[in-house]
Amino acid sequence: MSTPTISQESKAHYIVQEPLTLTGWFRNVFGAIKSVTTGMGITFKYIYGVKPVSIEYPEVREVLPENSRSRLFNDVENCISCLQCANACPVDCIYITAVKRGADAPKIKTKDGTPIRLDLVQYTIDTALCCYCGLCTTVCPTECLTHTTDYEFASYTIGDMKYDYLAPDIRAWRHRIVK
Amino acid sequence: MLKEIADFLNQKIPAAKAQAVEVEVGTGHVKIEASEWLSVAKLLKNTQPFDMNVLEVVSGVDFKDRIEVNYMLASFTQNTEAMIKISLPKTGALDLVEVDSVCALWKAANFQERECFDMLGVSFRGHPDLRRILCPEDWEGFPLRKDYQVQETYQGMTVNPIEKVNQRDHHFYKEIQAKYDVKQVSFSWKGDSEGGDDEAADAEA
Amino acid sequence: MSSSPKHIKDENEDTLTPAARPREAMKSELLTLNMGPQHPATHGVLRVEIKTDSEVVAEATPYLGYLHRCMEKHSENVDYRGVIPFVDRMDYLAAINMEWGYVLAVEKMLGVEVPKRAEYLRVIVGELQRVASHLMFFGTYAIDLGAFSPFLYAFQDREQILRLFEELSGARLLYNYFWIGGVWNDATDSQLKRIEEFCDTMDENLKKYHSLVGENSIFIGRTANVGIMDTQMCLDFGATGPVLRGSGFARDLRKAKPYSLYSELDFDIITGTGAKGTLGDCWDRYDVRMREMHESLKIIRQCLAGIEAGPVMGKVKKIIKLPEGEIFMSTECPRGELGYHIVSDGAAKPYRVKVKSSCFTHVGMLPEVAPGLLIADFVATIGSIDIVLGEVDR
Repeated sequence: MSTPTISQESKAHYIVQEPLTLTGWFRNVFGAIKSVTTGMGITFKYIYGVKPVSIEYPEVREVLPENSRSRLFNDVENCISCLQCANACPVDCIYITAVKRGADAPKIKTKDGTPIRLDLVQYTIDTALCCYCGLCTTVCPTECLTHTTDYEFASYTIGDMKYDYLAPDIRAWRHRIVK
Repeated sequence: MLKEIADFLNQKIPAAKAQAVEVEVGTGHVKIEASEWLSVAKLLKNTQPFDMNVLEVVSGVDFKDRIEVNYMLASFTQNTEAMIKISLPKTGALDLVEVDSVCALWKAANFQERECFDMLGVSFRGHPDLRRILCPEDWEGFPLRKDYQVQETYQGMTVNPIEKVNQRDHHFYKEIQAKYDVKQVSFSWKGDSEGGDDEAADAEA
Repeated sequence: MSSSPKHIKDENEDTLTPAARPREAMKSELLTLNMGPQHPATHGVLRVEIKTDSEVVAEATPYLGYLHRCMEKHSENVDYRGVIPFVDRMDYLAAINMEWGYVLAVEKMLGVEVPKRAEYLRVIVGELQRVASHLMFFGTYAIDLGAFSPFLYAFQDREQILRLFEELSGARLLYNYFWIGGVWNDATDSQLKRIEEFCDTMDENLKKYHSLVGENSIFIGRTANVGIMDTQMCLDFGATGPVLRGSGFARDLRKAKPYSLYSELDFDIITGTGAKGTLGDCWDRYDVRMREMHESLKIIRQCLAGIEAGPVMGKVKKIIKLPEGEIFMSTECPRGELGYHIVSDGAAKPYRVKVKSSCFTHVGMLPEVAPGLLIADFVATIGSIDIVLGEVDR
């Protein structure tokens, strides 16, 4: 690229201000006093008239609204392995493997009475990929996959973000689900 | 509106072979020959009843045999809109296709055409500064073409290195398949070790 | 501007000592400044290479793509419903308005009828989002020009809108609230009541904010007569939204091509007046946004009065397949007109989604407007066009 120089004819977008007159000077002084008084007036109103809106986070924890979309939870006992959530997911972060139940196996049902025909052997969600759009929870026919209102789940490694919902330790935060 | 434009163009520039395509759902367009695009654009911009003073967007679409470049022209004074479509035959995945630039008519074309060049490999003849705009300068290929292949290495780095692709779940799938009858296993994700996670969209049990 | 990161390149290096150089030769030497990609005044990851003569900008070249997330390519690989979360992430400060255009385009192709209540909710939520987005502009623009407290005031009000959206849609920023055929969740009466109360307090607050910032003599000194974009320039570049209206040209898609309920609602198109300087300067663009918020509140009040009970989702098939064809649909977003060009080949996934982003066109105006500006005024100009880099790079 060649080095450009400013040509004198170039369109002047910056207008040079006119020389200061005496009336202009007084107008400036008046404008400055007015600006400062309105500005300070509003500031003082905020000091005494407005209650603080921020919360002291670790001491006060905000409770999210009921349909807030935060950490995902799958209640695997009610899951019928229909794969609808995995198909709806726009970022493909849900991994499900299911094996057909044998004909002689005892018949089991979910909470709402849907028969379970597949045995779930893997239900993993990579929360690091999840975009919390809520498309998976709305297609779930048995409503076993839900967004909880739990928002404090930072972890040290990215591997920890992968939740295996069949593992026993995941049940530790089951009670946090809003029902 | 589209019909008027097509009739008018056929009258003035017969070589453009303007053809109005009205549709029931969606947006119709006027199809013209690529070679006459610049003179057509000049005419549409400067003729009073049309007065297309704004170029809204240059949108390229890649098909198997051709690249279509759609110009959304609008007249903010008349409150009208028209889509002009140009079809350019395509030869290979990395070959550029050429069409005249309209930067001299609408300054908006500068960025829009650069984006179209970057994403679809349409070279605009007479563009003052035809560089990539969203991708880095040294990127290879044109991402929005359907036959685009991601380059394997970029600046000495491997693109999608194997250790970053999800292998654990793929192995799990293989294990389960070995353990049970293959037909009995259903899986939500086609764990393809060659492809990345993005290939999973088609996985339908 | 002394705090901006400086990257100095000597382009015409010679062996002479400065004293030995002729004065004219020293004058013509331009200094290259690299502004961004990490710079608080560029509102994201915009990099502008500026060539300056002392403090006057001679040339500015924007470099984009630092936030390019291949949204258009991704959209080709997910179904029509799955595009909405991606669309959200373009302009993260006005996600609702981003969804609206896409959803309208798909609905128009499908021929789906949206229930009346859903339309009302869409207008209410869309206009609230416009207020939230303009409040964000108000706050960050004041920061650009060196005033900090307006930012906090703006966030206090914006927080109320976000809180409401969180209750409605479940998310604070990226809502996925508009669905093809309606909206995801119905609003309760108490929520509507809260919106009404918010409108009343907001009207008062806006007047207060305007007297605090818009009438402030320092603010006027920094913005009036700076970065003038006249109507001809705006039309040449295809600028829309507050940038075009700030130049005195009355065009609002809500009036020009009414979609949703806008044909039934009463509101005015706000245009710049040039009250403090020249028509089309930074102050006009600021003023247009501030007055637009009052219009938005007016629209919300009308919708709250007219809203009726009923369903919020229309009848849509489980797997959405658009008929073969294409559509270009624009809507009026806080930052300008946003257009979606959707090409369908009849499959369950879009063949091509092209986004016409207004911020992208506005960034294209920077090289034209920059020559002759002081660097500090250039920052004021970038702030006044109110770009969101998520939408520029997509």
